[in-house]
Amino acid sequence: MPLRKTWFALFTIPLLFAFAIVVIVPFLCGIYYSFFSWDGLPKNPMIFVGFENYADVFRDTQFLSSLLRTTLFTLLTVVIVNVLAMAFAMAVTSRLKLRNVGRVMLFMPYLIGGLLLGYIWQFILGDCMTMLGEITGREDLFFYWLSDREFAFIGLIVVATWQMAGYMMVIYIAGMQSISDDILEAAKMDGAGYWQTFFRVRLPLLMPSITICLFLTLSNCFKIYDVNIALTRGGPANATEMVSMNIFNEIFSKSNYGYGQAKAIVFFFIVGIITMLQVRATAKREVEV
Amino acid sequence: MSTKTLTLAGGKRKAGRIVGNVVLLLFCLIYLSPVYIIWVNSFKSRAEMYMNVLALPETFTWEYYMGAITRMDFVGVFTNSLIVTVCSALLLVVLCSMTAWALVRTKTRLSRFLYRFLILTMLIPFQTVMMPLMQEMNLLTKVLGIPMKNSLGGLIFMYIGFGAGMSVFLFHGFIKSSVPASLEEAAIIDGCGTWQLYWRIVFPMLKPITVTVIILNVIWIWNDYLLPSLTLTSNANKTIPVMTSMFFGTYSIEWNTAMAALVLTILPVIIFYFCAQKYIIKGVMAGAVKG
Amino acid sequence: MKIKKVLCMVLCAMLALSLVACGGTPSGGDEEANKIVIFQQKTEIYDQLVELAKVYQEETGVEVEVWPIAGDDYYQNLKTYMTSESGPTVFTLNSASEMEEMKGYLADIGDVEVLGKIQDSLLKVMDGKTVGIPMTAEGFGIVYNKDMVDPAAISTMDGLISFIETSGANGINGLGLSQEDYFLMGQILNFPFAVQDDPVGFCRKLYNGEVNLADVAEFQDFAKLMVAIRENQVNPVEVTYDGNCGDFATGKSAAIHQGNWCYSMFSSYEIDFDMDLAGVPVGGNTAISVGIPSYWFVNGDASEAEQQLGKDFLNWLYGSETGADYLMNKFGFLPVVDGMTSEKLDPISASLADAIAEGNVIDWTFNTEWPVSFITTNLQPLAEEFFTTDMSEADFLAKLTEAFVTAANG
Repeated sequence: MPLRKTWFALFTIPLLFAFAIVVIVPFLCGIYYSFFSWDGLPKNPMIFVGFENYADVFRDTQFLSSLLRTTLFTLLTVVIVNVLAMAFAMAVTSRLKLRNVGRVMLFMPYLIGGLLLGYIWQFILGDCMTMLGEITGREDLFFYWLSDREFAFIGLIVVATWQMAGYMMVIYIAGMQSISDDILEAAKMDGAGYWQTFFRVRLPLLMPSITICLFLTLSNCFKIYDVNIALTRGGPANATEMVSMNIFNEIFSKSNYGYGQAKAIVFFFIVGIITMLQVRATAKREVEV
Repeated sequence: MSTKTLTLAGGKRKAGRIVGNVVLLLFCLIYLSPVYIIWVNSFKSRAEMYMNVLALPETFTWEYYMGAITRMDFVGVFTNSLIVTVCSALLLVVLCSMTAWALVRTKTRLSRFLYRFLILTMLIPFQTVMMPLMQEMNLLTKVLGIPMKNSLGGLIFMYIGFGAGMSVFLFHGFIKSSVPASLEEAAIIDGCGTWQLYWRIVFPMLKPITVTVIILNVIWIWNDYLLPSLTLTSNANKTIPVMTSMFFGTYSIEWNTAMAALVLTILPVIIFYFCAQKYIIKGVMAGAVKG
Repeated sequence: MKIKKVLCMVLCAMLALSLVACGGTPSGGDEEANKIVIFQQKTEIYDQLVELAKVYQEETGVEVEVWPIAGDDYYQNLKTYMTSESGPTVFTLNSASEMEEMKGYLADIGDVEVLGKIQDSLLKVMDGKTVGIPMTAEGFGIVYNKDMVDPAAISTMDGLISFIETSGANGINGLGLSQEDYFLMGQILNFPFAVQDDPVGFCRKLYNGEVNLADVAEFQDFAKLMVAIRENQVNPVEVTYDGNCGDFATGKSAAIHQGNWCYSMFSSYEIDFDMDLAGVPVGGNTAISVGIPSYWFVNGDASEAEQQLGKDFLNWLYGSETGADYLMNKFGFLPVVDGMTSEKLDPISASLADAIAEGNVIDWTFNTEWPVSFITTNLQPLAEEFFTTDMSEADFLAKLTEAFVTAANG
């Protein structure tokens, strides 16, 4: 059923107008600024440097290593978050009496952010771990995680997962609720077991939600900043510095606004390509009703 | 004989459910244990907190809650937060669902491009656009006289722009997979106009995803700190998260008051979520009957 | 039909609401100025400043609005406000590099009356114009528990190190540090710089590659001290500011490296000992490190009338009796204006004031001479690496030299 052009315009223009003003215009400004050496204050001189900022980005070893680190972080976290979120969603859409309470409880971590998130997790991954080590005697595994390069990184994954899984769960719940009971009933009639139904019927029908959740986790993980700053501030010795933190430090601490913008643009294109590939790959598996 | 096996099976299922409930509850409690730290410490003094973070407070003093409420001008900031959150979330639902439907139902290059474009911009880190954004808003305020800076209306407008990507994405996915085009065709044949078609047939079917989108947007906007802290400069306009920031000194942080403020901030959202999530099921049932 | 009606109503209501919300906030600037906005990052004086604002309004009729802010986001937000012409009338800045960057936005406040009563060396002068009024003076050094530490014993580096070693053997932290960038190494590293004969010239030479810190005696002392801390007590990287102050208040640390601002952290503890402040004995130093943590500025981008109001406010704050009362007794600031005295100083500030009176002080180089954001982006990673590995003293000093050279020339 083709939509008439006027109707298409009427339905889309109000939103696109706001979107263009709020997101596109500043983004284009950002691209423009990335060709200058500038600290961001209008009264200070802007020196045009052409593509020099971009050339510098690829020579900046700290940036490149944080990019690599962020990619590894994203790969691991995306898998864990989505498996967990789907399991949560399965549990709270079952017939269990406590499902509604469970939904709220599992979602709650998402509501806690910023410095308080850092406070509780620094305590858990620091002091609690040390205490646990003293009690169990396994001091090789339970110690002050955040002062160890590898374990601080794992700590970031744990906290990011804790925060994001409940959020993705909400989207999976919506997806699961939209699968009509008739289809599941029919599968049962045909003698399909629980896991068979899950993999053959539910999962394919959940593909749209999976596309969305994968995309959201991918982009949230790549952009991760809040958890990073609250938990480790990039430490110890820059071992957990993620790309966003690197960019914002460049812009706000070092006041290299133009250079920071160039980093952001490079980062945007890299992540854009990765996520578009992902959306394409999963969208192909979606079934349209 | 048959009744006996039935009750046996029933008993087994019952036992299974009890175990399931217990497992779920235990898991949730473990999962939520970090939140316990926030709750207990919102009653403790700095010294008591230092002695033992995990212990229950010696006395449940409401001192820090009262402190947070009065120092933040809680009623005022609560109202601001409410206005911004409700207006932005509702407008986002209306505008994004319409856009998403139009994008799904027109299979042109333009619609595909717009869809990809909307999604891609979700990848832009906010901090990189915030300075040009504020300059632009300043320009709009000065040249056109539209009060974008330091006004709740301007902030709502910005939330619509920033929330567009994700809401369209969610609606788009749902419409594509769960709203049969055949139904719409039938309605058109019956002489239904596009406007009515959308609001009377399509939109009601979007209920589960609409509720989800509202939940996610409400929580994002309610807790958002950076954007309002940049746009809403005068104190009369500030929202809860912006006002809460006064408890966070560079180093000396008033943990107890900050935690009390956090509890006060998230309580309304939790209640809202608890009430709203029931509609995710209801919507599906209604949709299923109609479909 | 019903849905459509409801939707129409909701939409209309929302439009109306948005309009009301918009209309409710007139944009300032062009109308006659009768209001100033203060933006500053000492969150600990926020409540008192709000109170002061009310007093000022009653006295002069000028409305004063104080914006709250999370300390960490202060400069980022200030900068964004400035770019969009919505900056505050009066604001504060910390480091020389921030002031250099903001230079175009700092109004000349040379005609403010109270400046005559402030020592010239305390004022912030840029390009021959007076732009900043010092907020307060702050000082840091070794804050020690008088029951546990004999000041004579820690007045030499060897003495301090052996004290840390014996304390460590008894399960007590000899000199506690904490993980935050300024408290881990940022401030304490000021000592070996400030005790040089010509700290400014020393920094220039260092940045030009003419000095290797490993060859400088005071820095060798400093590195030895850091190793002693690393080897004998709880790893500072695993201690928070709250924890460090708590350890001191409860006797688990005999001394901590802190400044007079930390006294407020002890308010809810029952402290049954006396405390005092001493210098870090690099190269036999006994002086305490004292400086101006931040200055007040008036926004040069604001209208003339607003700038005048801002200057009037600062003049009142530092020149009037009510203002002085707030500065000394409610904010707990140290006097910077001649003739201003305070009787209600906390113990650390009191010993600091004594040290200032005796002239037993050295300057701050870390917020005036060090490269932009050196502590956060260069020193902190190095300090964390030092405390979590077995890095040797020589290695540490070599890396420190390199960090300064790269940061200064990068």
